[in-house]
Amino acid sequence: MKKMGKKEEENGNPYQNVDRSTALQEAKKFHETPLRPRLCSETCTKVIYLANQGEEFTTTEATDFFFAMTKLFQNKDITLRRMCYLTIKELSKMTEHAFIMTQSLTKDMNGSQDLFRPGAVRALCSITDPTTLQSIERYMKQAIVDKNTAVASAALISSFHLCDKAYDVVKRWANEAQQASSSDNQMVQYHALGLLHHLRKRDPLAIEKLVVKLSRSGLKSPLAYTLLIRIAAKLLADDDDRTALFDFIESCLRNKNEMVVYEAASAIVNMKNISHKEIAPAVSVLQQFCGSPKPALRYAGVRSLNKVAMKHPSAVTACNLDLENLITDSNRSIATLAITTLLKTGSESSVER
Amino acid sequence: MTINNTTDYCIEPSLYTIKSILILDNDGERIVSQYYDKELLPTVKEQKDFEKTIFKKTAKSDAEIVLLEGLTIVYKANVDLLFYVIGSSNENELLLDSVLNCLYDSISMLLRKNVEKRQMLKQLDGVFLAVDEICDGGIVMEIEPQAVIDKVAVGREDLPLTEQTVAQVFQSAKEQIKWSLLK
Repeated sequence: MKKMGKKEEENGNPYQNVDRSTALQEAKKFHETPLRPRLCSETCTKVIYLANQGEEFTTTEATDFFFAMTKLFQNKDITLRRMCYLTIKELSKMTEHAFIMTQSLTKDMNGSQDLFRPGAVRALCSITDPTTLQSIERYMKQAIVDKNTAVASAALISSFHLCDKAYDVVKRWANEAQQASSSDNQMVQYHALGLLHHLRKRDPLAIEKLVVKLSRSGLKSPLAYTLLIRIAAKLLADDDDRTALFDFIESCLRNKNEMVVYEAASAIVNMKNISHKEIAPAVSVLQQFCGSPKPALRYAGVRSLNKVAMKHPSAVTACNLDLENLITDSNRSIATLAITTLLKTGSESSVER
Repeated sequence: MTINNTTDYCIEPSLYTIKSILILDNDGERIVSQYYDKELLPTVKEQKDFEKTIFKKTAKSDAEIVLLEGLTIVYKANVDLLFYVIGSSNENELLLDSVLNCLYDSISMLLRKNVEKRQMLKQLDGVFLAVDEICDGGIVMEIEPQAVIDKVAVGREDLPLTEQTVAQVFQSAKEQIKWSLLK
């Protein structure tokens, strides 16, 4: 921070003089009546800025700040409250006394102000440990199936994070997650699928049922599709009885969204014991990607073709012309990948040209 | 640096897809830095070294995607800012790209098209909130910029919120949404 000081002055960086002690001293303002939400919110921004810069707060500093912050929950300003949630998440790792916020957050989570609820759920779960989790279990189950989709999403991803610490407790929420997986909201469905899969990891049969069910009914979000393809591919890797799952992955090659198409193609080309006939449609999709104006798409295409060429060089020969065009690509990673792929599939002459 | 360099696809299906989101200025100094995978770069020093490396590699090129230290990095530059979204080398590049686009577009809307450092520092709280709405602990929360803005921009009126009634706030929020749809 200190060394940037001078240079930043010219840029008019309002955070130039911010250091830990001044930011923490500003917490005095939290005790004023009436409260000035703008200024308090600025103080929280400073603390988050410092945390982003890699500054470490000591346990005492973080705890004191938390204590001061409890005052802020009396104010209804939305921006201020959201900055509070964010500050709690950023600082929670640096203190063991974060539980002092539990009561305020539980109240917000179940309160009538819809704009507070998702943020409160996420902040609350970031300070919860396995012992205190039991006391909010009931609320979490409710939140997962909440009508407000932002609340449901927040609860689902928080549960996912909590699996590391308290798998056995979260496991009991599978029914709620199941219910959420049929949500009409894209993100809720994606997050529910992720949590459900994580909770049933040890039961391939249950996962297969889930995949088949969702692949039939169709999904709303491209993210959920990519996850489902990954799950299906994992099942296939362990068990060769493929028809239904493979058909699902193959059908995704015709999806409208490029992200899904690419996920399906790369799942197929990476399967073991795959025949030429089965790999052909995936390769042709990747070939199309190579001609895209978007660098990310070209990169994805050529990188996967490079992998295919290692195992099935003959399947990639058809793409040689497209690959040759990529040798002069302005993105050096793409050009390098194109050359190494051609070395495996083409003759020397094609690289020289 | 601990990075598993598995060449096989068999990527464990998980909601954790984003390793890091960074916004650097044109000197390579960080403005926003979020590392979601604690094992990837555990210390601040390692993180800063890593940032230096990617900054050197990307500052003067508009390649948009690069593989570095076993990680896929998609990025975008504007005036004096660089936006990065980082994932494992096995991650779906297009997924990372859509997160980057969401990050860039929502911040651009937030800053009313003035995507530059000075403006960003003025509205740093909004920027932090936007990043938080896009990714939570490595899980993608949202990839639609408008949805992010709707969640962040609530209450960002010129009048301090304390002086408005709840009904007024709702009314102005409604109007904001209406206008953004009409545009």
